[in-house]
Amino acid sequence: MRALWSCVGSAAVIVLLGSPPVTTNATMSTDAGPGTLSAPGERLGPAGTAVRGSESPAEALQIQTTGVPREFYFSRVAYGGYGGFRRGGRSWATDFPKADQIFLSFIDRLLPNLDAYEREFVVQLPDPEVRDYPFLYALEVGRMSLSPPEIEGLRNYLLAGGFLVIDDFWGTQEWQQFEYQIRQVLPEYEIVDLTLDHPIFTTFYEIEEILQVPNVGNGTRGGPTYERDGFIPMVRGIHDDNGRLMVIINWNTDLGDAWEWADNPYYPLKYSTYAYEMGVNFIVYAMSH
Amino acid sequence: MESIFEFLFKYRPLLFQEGDFTFASPWPALFILGGVALVTIPALFTYGAARGDSQRIDRIVMAAIRLGLVGVLVFILFQPTLILTSVVPQRNFVGILIDDSQSMRIADEDGVARSDFVQSTFGAEGSEMLDALSEKFTLRFFRFSRDASRLNSMNELTYSGTETDLGNAMVRAQEELAGVPISGLVVISDGADNSGEALAESLLPLQAAGVPVYTVGLGEEELSPDVQVSRVELPRTVLVGTSLVVDVIVSHRGYTGRTVQLLVEDTGVLLASEDVTFERDGEPVVSRVRIEAEDAGPRLLRFRVSPQEGERVTENNARDVLVDVVNEAEKILYFEGEPRWEVKFLRRAVSEDDNLQVVVLQRTAESKFLRLNVDDAEELAAGFPRTREELFRYRALILGSVEASFFTHDQLDMIADFVSQRGGGLLVLGGRNAFGEGSYQGTRLAEALPVFMDDELSTGVEPYSTELFITPTRTGLTHPTTQLGQDDSDAVRELWESLPPVTTLNPITRLKPGATGLLTGGPEDDRERQVVLAFHRYGRGKVIALPIQDSWTWQMHADIPLEDQTHETFWRQLLRWLADGVPDQVEAQSEREVVEPGQPVNLAVEVGDSAYAEVNNGNVVAVVLDPDGSSTTVPLDWDVEQDGHYDGGFPTSGPGLYEVAVHATRGADTIGTARTYVNVAPSDEEYFDASMRGTTLNRVADQTGGLFYTPETVSTLPEDIGLTGAGVTLTEERDLWDMPILLLLVLGLMGAEWGYRRKRGLV
Repeated sequence: MRALWSCVGSAAVIVLLGSPPVTTNATMSTDAGPGTLSAPGERLGPAGTAVRGSESPAEALQIQTTGVPREFYFSRVAYGGYGGFRRGGRSWATDFPKADQIFLSFIDRLLPNLDAYEREFVVQLPDPEVRDYPFLYALEVGRMSLSPPEIEGLRNYLLAGGFLVIDDFWGTQEWQQFEYQIRQVLPEYEIVDLTLDHPIFTTFYEIEEILQVPNVGNGTRGGPTYERDGFIPMVRGIHDDNGRLMVIINWNTDLGDAWEWADNPYYPLKYSTYAYEMGVNFIVYAMSH
Repeated sequence: MESIFEFLFKYRPLLFQEGDFTFASPWPALFILGGVALVTIPALFTYGAARGDSQRIDRIVMAAIRLGLVGVLVFILFQPTLILTSVVPQRNFVGILIDDSQSMRIADEDGVARSDFVQSTFGAEGSEMLDALSEKFTLRFFRFSRDASRLNSMNELTYSGTETDLGNAMVRAQEELAGVPISGLVVISDGADNSGEALAESLLPLQAAGVPVYTVGLGEEELSPDVQVSRVELPRTVLVGTSLVVDVIVSHRGYTGRTVQLLVEDTGVLLASEDVTFERDGEPVVSRVRIEAEDAGPRLLRFRVSPQEGERVTENNARDVLVDVVNEAEKILYFEGEPRWEVKFLRRAVSEDDNLQVVVLQRTAESKFLRLNVDDAEELAAGFPRTREELFRYRALILGSVEASFFTHDQLDMIADFVSQRGGGLLVLGGRNAFGEGSYQGTRLAEALPVFMDDELSTGVEPYSTELFITPTRTGLTHPTTQLGQDDSDAVRELWESLPPVTTLNPITRLKPGATGLLTGGPEDDRERQVVLAFHRYGRGKVIALPIQDSWTWQMHADIPLEDQTHETFWRQLLRWLADGVPDQVEAQSEREVVEPGQPVNLAVEVGDSAYAEVNNGNVVAVVLDPDGSSTTVPLDWDVEQDGHYDGGFPTSGPGLYEVAVHATRGADTIGTARTYVNVAPSDEEYFDASMRGTTLNRVADQTGGLFYTPETVSTLPEDIGLTGAGVTLTEERDLWDMPILLLLVLGLMGAEWGYRRKRGLV
C-alpha cells in the first residue's frame, strides 16, 4: 500500500513541479542496502569510502558527481551503529534515498537561487573529504554508535565550521544513546534547548511553533504523533565558543518522513510544511552563520 | 683647461660666450683685400713657375703654408674685436643670499663646515671676494632657511634653520631689491631644498625680470660614509589590531657589505627590528618591517639605525612618524546573490575582529533577502541600495555571485561611482554569476574591474570550472593582504603553495594595464595560469578581484589543522586593506606631518555631503587641543579654487601632539567630524639628503642666465657678474689681434715651411 501511494504521489509531484532534477540510479531504491560508496572522477564524491557492514561490492551504490562542482550537497551521514529491526545495522539509511530526493526537488523550488546538487549524497565521517561538504544530515541517531575515527572525524568537522542536522529519534532511551555519542564528539560543549527566538527559526521562514512531526504511519492514520516516550518535540543545539550553532538536534520528531511523504495526500500538510520550512531554514542558516 | 684657453686666447671662454665678435679695422676692406691680392697672386705665379729640384707636391704644400700665413696676417690687419656688455661700476646692486639652515653646519671631507667657507669668503672683513664685489656693486646680504630676511651683520647667521626654501628666498630678495638696478643674486647654499615647493615656479619672476642667479654650491655631492633612514611608508591612520608591513627605505654610502639593524620604537619601547644589508654602494635598500598596531590613539613611532663607525652625519639615522591608530568598526556591505558557503566562512573569519562590521545582504530567493549584522530594522530593508546616500554609507562593498541583470543601470553606475567618487573599496568575488559569467561585459562595473573578462579559456559551451593551486606573485610576497603573518618571502610562498586547491568558475587570465596581481593559480605545475587576486586604483578608490568561489576550503579542508589561522588572517587583512584609506565625508589633514614649535599649522579639509558631492557652503571649524590641555576654535574658509576644500591654520607654541577635531555643518545639519593629530617638534629634516645638490643649483643658474660655482671656482664671480649681469650696463670693446694664439700661428707656419724645405732638401 505504501509503495502504491509512493508511486501516485511521485507522479503528482512530477506533474506539479515538472520533471524533478533527480536522476535516480537504477541500482538504488528505498529497499537497497547500503554498500560501498564511490565517486570516481571528481574530488567531490567521497571517493573510496566504505560503509562498515557492507556485505559485498555488488551492493555498491554508485554515486557520481561529475562536471562543475556545486555549492550545496545534501550530505547524509552513513554512520556506524547497532542497526535496528528494519535495516540490519544500517539505520543511517532510513528513508534513503527517497526522502533526500523529494527534499531536494522541493528545495529546488523553495530556494531557486541555491546551486544544489540534485541527487542524494552520502558521506562518511572518517573520510577526509567529508570536510568538503559543510552540511550534514543524520537520522535515527538513537541507534548510532560511532567508532573512534568517526568521533574524531565529526569533531574536527564541526570545529572547523561544519554543520550537522540530527533528526528522527525518539524517547529517553534513544536520547541517552545519542547524548552519549555526541558527548564523545564534543564533550566540552553544552547541549541547549533552542527557543523560537533563535535565528534558525527566522532565517528564511518564520517558525511560530515547534511541531511534533509524526512518522508516515502515524501521520497518515491520524494516530498519535509521538513514538515511545517521546511526547514533547524538542529542538536542541550545540554552539561553539563563539555562539555559532554547530549541531541542531530535532528530537521526538521526524522531519525526514514529512519530507519523504510530502506527496502523500493522506499525510497532513501542516507537518510537511513545517518540515520543509525547518529544512530550508537549516540550509540558509548553515550557509550564512 | 680654462687657463690654457685664457693663455692662448687672452680672455676666458665666458667672454667669448657673452661677447659679440667683430672686425674694427680703420682701413676699408677693399683696400686690404687689394693689398692681399697684390702679394698673393705674384707669389702663386712664382710658386707655379719655379722649377729646380722641387716637385709639384712640394710647390703645392709650400704655397698652402704661405697662403695660410698671409691669411693670419690679413685676419690681424682686420683688427678682430670682442664687443662686451658690462655693468657700470657702483651703479648696480647684487643680492647675496646665504643659507642659514642646519645643514650648513655639516663638515665635509676636509673637516671644514660649510658655514666656515661662508664666513671666510663672504663674511670676513677685507676678504678678496667682498672687495672685488664691492668695487663694482652695491651689496645687499640676506639670510634664508624657511624664510628670508635682510642681514645686517654676518653675526646674525646662526645656521639653525630647520628647512631650506630656495625659491622663497630668491623671490623675497628680488622683492626687497625691487626698484633698484639688480645685476644678479648670489645664492650660497648646499642647495638641499626641502620645502616641497616647485622651484621652477619661483624662478619665473626672476626670468621675467632678467635677473641672473649665481649659485655657489657648498659641500660634497656624495656624503660618505653615511647611513640614512630615507623614507618610511606608513599610512597616517590605521585600524587598531592591524598588522602593518612598513616599507622603510634605508640609504647608505660607503658601507657596502655591512649589515645594520633597523629598530622601530614606540616612545622608547621596541616594537620590531630588522636586519638591513647594504649590497651595492649608494643603492638604497627597502626594508619591510612588520609591526602590530595594538593600542588605539596617536602613536609616534621612531624608525632608527644606530650610528655607524666613522659616519659623517648621524642626525639622519632616525625618523619619527606619527600614526593615528583608530578604534572604529569599518562598515562593509557584502551582497551575495545566492546562498553560499563563502558568506558563512567569511563572516566566521572576521567575527572576532571588532574593527570590521560586515553587513550581509543575501538574496535567498527571488526578491527575498537575508540581512545580517545590520544596525537597525530599516537598514537594507528594500534590498540592495537604490540611492547613493544609502550605498555610500559603507566604506567597502563586496559583490558575490550575482548577475549583472539583477542591478538597474543606475545601480551599476552607482557601484562604479562608489569607488571612483566616494573612494570606497570594492571586492568582486568569483562565482557562477560573477564577472563574465554574470554578464558584466560592457557595464561600468566591467570598466572598474582590474581584470579583463573576455578570456579565451572559456569555451562558451560548457560552464568553465577548474581547480587552482595557488602561488603568490612577486608583489604578493610582500603585500599586506597576502603575507599571512609571515615575515620572509620564502615562507609566504611556501604557505600559499601548501594550501589545498580552490575552484573557480570564472576564466580570468589578464590584468588590465596598471593593475597589480597578488595571487595566481592553475594546475599544480602551472600555477600562474589564472588571476586569483588582483587590484587597481579606480578614481579615488580601489577595486579588488578574487575570482574564486570557495576560499572556505582554506578553513574546512582536512589538511588544514583546526588551529590554523590562514583563512582568518587572509580575510581580516584583505577586508582591512579593502577599507583602508577610504575617505569620510569630512577629511582633515595637516599640510606637514611635523611642524616646528612656533610655526603655524596649515590644515586642509575636504567636505562632502552624504552622496560625497563637494560642499562649498558649509560651516567648518577646527577645535585644537594643545598639549597643555587648552583648546581653541579656528574657523576654516572655503578655498574658492577647489570645490569642497577648506583651509586655515593655527599657531603653535610648545612642542607636543596637537589634537585637531574638525566639525563641518551646513545650516542646521551636521555633516561630520574629522580628527587628526599634528606632531609639533624640532625637525632634523635638514640633515636628510644633505649632500650638495649640484644639479639643482646648476639648473637655477642655467635657467636664469647666471652661473654655478664651487668654492674652487668662485674667485671669478665678481668679474663674471660684471660681464653677464643685468642692471645698468655699458658696451666695451676688447682687442683680439694680439691674442697669443695668432703669434703662435704665424711662428708655427713660418717654422713649418722652413722645416718642410729642410726635409725635402730645398733649402
